[in-house]
Amino acid sequence: MATSADGSVQRVVAGVLAPLCVVSGAIVLSGFFFPAFVGEAVSGAAWLGLSLLFFSSGLGYLAVLPHRSDDVQSADRYLLKVRQTNMRTAIQTFLAGQDPLTLGLPVVVFALFFGLQVVAPSRTSAAVDAATGTVLRTGGPLFLLAVFLAVCYCLFLLLGPWGDITLGSADTDPTYTYPTYFTLVFTAGIAAGLVFWGPAEALFHYGDPPPYFGASPQSAAAVGDALVYSLFHWGISAWSAYVVIGVPIAYFVFERGAPLRVSTILAPFLGVDGLDSRWSRLVDTLAVFATIGGIATSVALVSQQFLAGISFQWEVVVGPTGPLLFVGGLTVIFVLSAVTGIHRGIRRIAGLNVVLFGLFALLLVGVGPRSFIVEQGTRALGRYIVHFVPLSLYTGGEWVANWTVWNWSWWFSWAPFAGLFIAALSRGRRVRTVVFTSVVATAAATVVWFLLLGGTSLFVQQTGRANVLGAIASSSASEAVAGFALFASLPLGRLLSFLFLALIVVFMTTSADTSTLVVSLLSTRRGQVPSTGSVVFWGVFQGAVATAVLLVGGAGTLQALAVLTGGPFAVISVVAVGGLTLTWYRHERGHTSVLRRWLDRLPTIQTHHDVEPPDEK
Amino acid sequence: MVDVSDEPGEPALEEVFYPTERVPFVEWQQFSGAKPTVVLTGVTTLLAFVTGMSNLSQPTVTVDGPLTAVVTVPAGFTQFAGVLFAFVLGLVTVGLQRRKRLAWRVAMLVLPTLALLPLATLQTTDVPLLVLLVLTVPSLVWNREAFDQSVDLSPLQIAALAAMVGVGLYGVVGAYALRNQFLELDTWSDAVYYVIVTIATVGYGDITPATMQARWFSLSIILFGTGAFTVAVGALVGPLIESRMATAFGIMTAAELTLFEDHVVVLGYGDVTASLLKELGAETDVVVVTDDPDTAAAITSDDVSVLTEDPTDEDVLMDASVDTARGVVVGSNDDAKDVLAVIAAKNVAPNVRVVAAATEEKHVDKFDSVGADEVINPRTIGGRLLGQSVLGESASLSDTDGIGPERSTGRESGNTGN
Repeated sequence: MATSADGSVQRVVAGVLAPLCVVSGAIVLSGFFFPAFVGEAVSGAAWLGLSLLFFSSGLGYLAVLPHRSDDVQSADRYLLKVRQTNMRTAIQTFLAGQDPLTLGLPVVVFALFFGLQVVAPSRTSAAVDAATGTVLRTGGPLFLLAVFLAVCYCLFLLLGPWGDITLGSADTDPTYTYPTYFTLVFTAGIAAGLVFWGPAEALFHYGDPPPYFGASPQSAAAVGDALVYSLFHWGISAWSAYVVIGVPIAYFVFERGAPLRVSTILAPFLGVDGLDSRWSRLVDTLAVFATIGGIATSVALVSQQFLAGISFQWEVVVGPTGPLLFVGGLTVIFVLSAVTGIHRGIRRIAGLNVVLFGLFALLLVGVGPRSFIVEQGTRALGRYIVHFVPLSLYTGGEWVANWTVWNWSWWFSWAPFAGLFIAALSRGRRVRTVVFTSVVATAAATVVWFLLLGGTSLFVQQTGRANVLGAIASSSASEAVAGFALFASLPLGRLLSFLFLALIVVFMTTSADTSTLVVSLLSTRRGQVPSTGSVVFWGVFQGAVATAVLLVGGAGTLQALAVLTGGPFAVISVVAVGGLTLTWYRHERGHTSVLRRWLDRLPTIQTHHDVEPPDEK
Repeated sequence: MVDVSDEPGEPALEEVFYPTERVPFVEWQQFSGAKPTVVLTGVTTLLAFVTGMSNLSQPTVTVDGPLTAVVTVPAGFTQFAGVLFAFVLGLVTVGLQRRKRLAWRVAMLVLPTLALLPLATLQTTDVPLLVLLVLTVPSLVWNREAFDQSVDLSPLQIAALAAMVGVGLYGVVGAYALRNQFLELDTWSDAVYYVIVTIATVGYGDITPATMQARWFSLSIILFGTGAFTVAVGALVGPLIESRMATAFGIMTAAELTLFEDHVVVLGYGDVTASLLKELGAETDVVVVTDDPDTAAAITSDDVSVLTEDPTDEDVLMDASVDTARGVVVGSNDDAKDVLAVIAAKNVAPNVRVVAAATEEKHVDKFDSVGADEVINPRTIGGRLLGQSVLGESASLSDTDGIGPERSTGRESGNTGN
């Protein structure tokens, strides 16, 4: 998406970011290496600002670095496109390229919501909370069933005959190499929640054990149960919800020429040519709404928690403008990343994300209680597999509504954008590879993460090395402080804390830049490429919603609203699975399943000895 | 099943998600070559220095890394190792930049030893150095083939270095042997200290010769030591300055030229050369061989190296590493000389690809017969492009067969040109 005009703008941005990064980096590193001389000369808030400036300008610079394919491309475009310097024409072209419904409705709804929130905050919150509570309680079984169905379907695709279907024509090579594919899928589908909840989730279940197992709070038995439940909430169930949205889209896009949209999952019912109908536009609009709601509230929550964690750890209080600046900075990075495109900003920051993630995990293996984690981890993993079906179908009580159903609806509200993104990347790959990557491989990464961090925090809590639960209880920011309280009790705690903070920022960026791209794709008219203006608009819009959440204070309410949009997508996912099955049943016969192939590979046992083998002469 | 991959129905998908043929996780070619390795070593040097300074600035360095369980680490090591290693690594980096084998060997020795520092302390500030070392050492091993230049020392340099080492040994052993005739000289380290202080003409005066024999001995160290030191500095630094000045005047030394590989050699300087250099400049290393000193001086671009010699001389082409070049371009305004240059290039390296620009159309065949792989007549191409352009046909270069890879190019274009 780099036109020549963008190219020159990006060069200017790079020219600003590079010195910014070098100067702030020099100061931050001198403070890091010489804390005695430099460290005390600068105040805590200034350190925070400088470090964030260093990190974000570095990320931004990484995004705008040119790609080797761009030179040729931008030269081509220069001849084709007229530069738009006039603001008015720019806005007109932007509006002309947008779908009025998908652009207008989310903007109006969000404006209305914040208006109501300002005029009557308590009543709005109460109304939304009541609605959410009702949906989560009464709709609980629906969510549980939808997720369970998704997991079963993924298992079927993985082992069954349809896993052999190649997305795209047979001679299409996948554009994304496997490591890139995994990295992009993993980092887009999961946000900073993974980082915060890693050390916190198991502890919460330890302090307030799940009723399914019925252990008493903070007992030795609760340790294993807590781990099992955090694996359950972040394991294959979560990722299956993405895949059942993603695989149908990918199939109809690459095999039937349907447009790359969420509404494409309705293709079996409306036909590829009927995808212009009101229903499909409603689905797209809903997807935009769910994505923006999900991402913007995550951005707002993450920035609050990030600063809360810092003020807990280093007693740096930044005041009310802090989160706003943080959101602003984050918006700049993810807009830059989305504008520069998937092969530049998004891929590079995602790569950095995975490297940091791996580095952190390795460090934790080095300094953490290895034998405890291995022992508890293997046991938890075994119990997770054994209890998976009953856990998935267990509907009992308030606890499940607050944790499992809440999580499930949250995953479903992310499913449209994550699913669409998975679909878009999967050209030339087999369905089995798609499912394996986006469910098994990604879930393996999160499972390891939760076992490592959850196991370590449980170990620290249980042996009394640190009272992380106490820190959570005493702080208003709840799960945000768990990590810092934990790392303080480990060797290399300072380094772990720094990496932890970097991971939060990077994970949020990699999700937000992808969602920006997807939303601008959905809101652009059929058959047109989202313009740079459109990507910038939706990125800034997400940032603005996050800012509004911070200002008006409706984070919980908006999050609840976003979660509410998960409900429709739970239903849509069931519809999608049904439609896909129907289509494949009609058109995709003759593939062999993995199980069949394994069976064929076994030596055939001769049972009919009386039959003479045919003579071969 | 409908195959629609060619259908232009979904430009959004193509442009947003498939902007290039292939999107790898990391572009290995960009990061795995010899150059990135040198840069990585340089960064390691810098970080080693900063880490060393950081450790030095602390009153006490906590030592509780995994290494301490195995061996006891000397107290001074953690404080001074970083900075001292950085100085050695600085030299090594310069050597690696010149692709010296010796530098590679020293680096493979020094870098793993440097890793002992963060492993011994395992402070937060030392961990970045460890991470960088974990990256640098495999990168060096991976690129070991690239560092194959031997250190060519002149006899004078060898003699000067040998004299330095010899005087050092003589001084240390002698001073230790005569320790009874010195004030306050008791141990081997005292002897080393005394010799260095003396050779450097610092002479603190804390250790002094007490007898006549010791004084004569000291004088001999001063004379031979300072002499060898001065000569060594001259012998080592002099050639560097010489080559620097030579480069400034457009003359390259043979040692510098042997570093080139996969470069393009341009023989002669003509009308097309300037735009050729512009085209090649950023892509690859270019060596221009021309016997005109004025032209040589006029080429100021950093990407282009100039050899002011006769381009038809085989020895010169050997110096320009034509045999390891990616290709040779012959394109001065003198076709007769160009033909000789083609023959010379083919004599030196029969397999190298030679592209010739014929100034006159009638000479195209002659270039063919002396073995040019491709002959281009710039004027014919220009004429054809002009013709196509005025008729409104696509005038992109790829559409004209005027520069196609066939040898019949000239003849063919001759027909159309008329």
